[in-house]
Amino acid sequence: MNIWNPVRITWLHRANPVVKLFLVCSLFLMTVLTHDIDFVAYQALIFMLCLLALSGVRTWKMLLFFIPFLLAFISSSSSMMLFGKGDTVWWEWGLFKVSKESFYRGLHLGFKGIAFACEGLLLVTTTSSVDLFYSLMQKLKLAPKYAYSFMASIRLLPMVWEEYVIRRQALKVRGVVPIRGVRGAVNRAGMYVVPLLAQSIRRAHRVAAAMEAKRFDGDRGRRRTYFYPSRYSRYDLLTIALLAAAAYGAYAAAGHFPWFGIGDVRFD
Amino acid sequence: MGAQPRKGLRLSDILVTVLVSLVLGVVYHFWGSVYNLLKPLFFEADELLYGMWFAAATLAYLLIRKPGVAIIAEVAAAHVEVLFGSGWGLTLLMYGLIQGLGAELVFAATRYRSSSAFTVALAGAAAAVGSMLLDFFYSYTDDLQTWMFLAKYGMRIFSGAVIAGLLMLVLAKALERTGVTSLLRPASQKDYEALDDSRHV
Amino acid sequence: MSKMQRGVHFVNTVDAPNDPQGEPALYVEGLRLKYPGEERLMFKDLSFSAARGEKVLLLGPSGCGKSTLLQVLSGMIPRATEVPMKCEAQKYPASWGYVFQDPDTQFCMPFVDEELAFVLENQCIPREQMEERMQAALQAVGLELESLHVKIAHLSQGMKQRLALASALLLEPEVLFLDEPSALLDPEGREQIWTAVKAVSAGRTLIIVEHRIEEMAEYADRVVLFSPDGTILGEGTPADVFARYSRELKEFGIWYPGVWDDYAVSPSGMEVFAPLGTSSGGSRQDDSFARDLGKAARLQNREGLHPVEESGRLTGTDFTSAEQSKPAVQLAEFSGKRWDKAVITVQGAEVYPGDFIAIVGPNGAGKSSLLLSLMGLLNAEGMYLLGGEEVPLGKGRRNRKQRERMLRRIGFVFQNPELQFVTERVTDEVAYSLLVDGMSAGEAAEQARRTLERFGLDGKESRHPYQLSTGQKRRLSVATAMARQPAVLLLDEPTFGQDARNTFAILEMCERLRQAGTAIVMVTHEMRIAEQAATHIWEIRQGQLVSRMASPRLAARRAPGFQENGYPPMRAEDEAKEFGAREDNKESSGRPYAEVRS
Repeated sequence: MNIWNPVRITWLHRANPVVKLFLVCSLFLMTVLTHDIDFVAYQALIFMLCLLALSGVRTWKMLLFFIPFLLAFISSSSSMMLFGKGDTVWWEWGLFKVSKESFYRGLHLGFKGIAFACEGLLLVTTTSSVDLFYSLMQKLKLAPKYAYSFMASIRLLPMVWEEYVIRRQALKVRGVVPIRGVRGAVNRAGMYVVPLLAQSIRRAHRVAAAMEAKRFDGDRGRRRTYFYPSRYSRYDLLTIALLAAAAYGAYAAAGHFPWFGIGDVRFD
Repeated sequence: MGAQPRKGLRLSDILVTVLVSLVLGVVYHFWGSVYNLLKPLFFEADELLYGMWFAAATLAYLLIRKPGVAIIAEVAAAHVEVLFGSGWGLTLLMYGLIQGLGAELVFAATRYRSSSAFTVALAGAAAAVGSMLLDFFYSYTDDLQTWMFLAKYGMRIFSGAVIAGLLMLVLAKALERTGVTSLLRPASQKDYEALDDSRHV
Repeated sequence: MSKMQRGVHFVNTVDAPNDPQGEPALYVEGLRLKYPGEERLMFKDLSFSAARGEKVLLLGPSGCGKSTLLQVLSGMIPRATEVPMKCEAQKYPASWGYVFQDPDTQFCMPFVDEELAFVLENQCIPREQMEERMQAALQAVGLELESLHVKIAHLSQGMKQRLALASALLLEPEVLFLDEPSALLDPEGREQIWTAVKAVSAGRTLIIVEHRIEEMAEYADRVVLFSPDGTILGEGTPADVFARYSRELKEFGIWYPGVWDDYAVSPSGMEVFAPLGTSSGGSRQDDSFARDLGKAARLQNREGLHPVEESGRLTGTDFTSAEQSKPAVQLAEFSGKRWDKAVITVQGAEVYPGDFIAIVGPNGAGKSSLLLSLMGLLNAEGMYLLGGEEVPLGKGRRNRKQRERMLRRIGFVFQNPELQFVTERVTDEVAYSLLVDGMSAGEAAEQARRTLERFGLDGKESRHPYQLSTGQKRRLSVATAMARQPAVLLLDEPTFGQDARNTFAILEMCERLRQAGTAIVMVTHEMRIAEQAATHIWEIRQGQLVSRMASPRLAARRAPGFQENGYPPMRAEDEAKEFGAREDNKESSGRPYAEVRS
């Protein structure tokens, strides 16, 4: 079940989910620990290109998804720019104070945000939840009761959505009064959340009973056979090489063609 | 005969926790747009809505009341956001983990017995503190001007206590009135004793 | 409830008939069980056993504990579900499989192969054997799929239940527990699941809980009848039990074979099924058509399609006043859309006050979509007159506002009652819509009280709607719609999953409303409702209203020639196949532990 509907199958789709998870976490760590603004800017750029190339999702669809990234960019950079500490003050107006340090730090955060998002999406767009949990169970010994709880819940989620649609219609039919004020909004939210959660709880409870009736043992049962064994393949190596090259590319580019050339944004 | 009940999390406990959290995860996902609405109001006013992102931890605890559910719930809810392709990527899982841990610690301190308004509000606030710790790491927030820092996190902690704490308590009570939560409550010793009640013999 | 036990030999112990092979397949002795928070014990010193290969059918009213007993016998209680219980002795079956009621909550994986693999993996079956076993199990239940890797969500409900049976078979069960497996299926699915059960039952012990027993009543070796308080009322061969306990079967709402016929001759049944027709031979009809010629002219041009329209119209009530003989609803070139695609198209149709329209047709044909578009919940286009006034279907705020205001005259009952409740008390639930309509608080409370009394819900006023029983919830949802005395009432399968008693109760309410002049439009799979309670039958296929006919109920008082010209008499096998509605729906029951009881 992949909600992204990829139109092309790339190396990344074929790689083992656990390998991808490991890779993405490493990239992640790298980005977190990067304090050089040029390096981070190049990471953001290069992983964005990777995402467009490797996700297999239609390009326009993927570009549409960059809009929230932009918001994240503005959100994470603006407050640091306007309210951050700094000595070289460029502009000050009332409570706002933009200094050189805070400006670059804010920009740095924005790029970091984009890099995080792209790295995350590299995993999410190419891995179905079932595959991920299957291999987490097989390769990382995640307890089956957690893995299957996630997989079963993900299966039930669309039903909750259907019920939400019906609930919306039902409220219209019952003629619920328009929302007034915060209280009204909370009240209305409750009208949706309570029935949907009540149904979900009952459903989850019933699925759990059905699973146990199929001899799923939540307490022991780490020993299982698998119909879809999770295997490592050459695509794992290819993927590792590809993403490592991308990371190195960003590093090298930052060294040779710096955009800002200010180095560490912590200015320590 | 009649086996004694098992301790710890049952499959149904985990499944209910995860499904409820996934539903809240969808709410989390869309909460981002509500959050952005408040942005233009004045800077960091959006922090007042931040508490919604801790709701899964407290709600799941109020439903299941067992060790571990707060953490599982937050991670599960964050997982949905990641799945839907949030701009925050995998950072959200980290945030989920540490926010859940914050709430979990408060519940653990009451030995998983209290579900008072004070406890859940404190748990909501503790989750906010968890997210604050991670912010230091990710976003250099310790470099914000001091007044801004205090305002930002003051609002976040307040929001955690109100939305994740009190509001979820109200929601849990409403769910209790529907009767579904009785599925989740373990039987008491009294219920077992009633089997031998002489009145029934 | 004690009155039904009077004069009945009381037994609380049922044993398998003497089994020459020795050991029974399973038994429990001296069982005591109590749900937390309940006043009384569900079972008090109950004993039950079943012989190897025996097919046992457990019958009883909702809430008597049949499903709980299945869970105890299998060991699900207390292993998977914690419920306080104890017993003197128990033998669990050596191996067992379980099929539950709700087709949507039996699977944890999205694809057929993954789900079947889940069962095999749980037993540590080597991977090489898996595919072969899956194929064999699917074949055994008659489920032919183009490939194993098919999404479960794409299967019909009936196929899902057979998949559930197939996954139970993968456990190579000696005993099969079936907990109302056909309750939430349409007649076709019901027949398929029972065919599949019979096909795989050879050499296996079957313990079946079911309300809807027409398909398999004769198949059981032994029927065990429970009373409402969880004791065993009696047992025996099916024929024996049906003969001895016919009054209890009726009282418990069980769909035993012949229940419709028995109802038809009861006093309330005679009213609901009372033959109708116009004594005036349809002259009224022609008048009203002439009067409405302006807008309805187009409707009349399509008469070729509709046998009813040709020779004047038959209506349910003998209204004579000109006001009431106006159609309540008129449609022409009307279509309802989802995502800009027409999902239901009606060339032309009208509904008169006092009509009871039954909408029939296969699943997914567009029956519910028609109701939703009449209610303004789907985008629609074409001509739609409500009480002679045109409903604006266009976009734009003004159109929408006016449409919403006009459509308040229609009542709507959704399939799942819980999703339409908006308050936390039963009285408030009924009063709510009245208050929205602008009634004063006092008046609304009084009206709500009267309505609840009429629907047999008095005494439950301050309950939470979710805490009602399934049947009560359904009645409440109908009550909220009816309290407003709508001109038109739309109901989406209101008898789905209901027991016989509740089904009849809902029909009685509809009939009373119909007699008062409300037009009723009901989607149903139940052919007996369509033929005997409804006045007209509309058939929908592939998004089109393909035929509109007078029902036999309406035709009954017409000239004898009508049967040949108008309504084709049903063939016997159709009748057998489509007989009956659906079973008690545990899904929507808000009672604690509702799904482990029956």
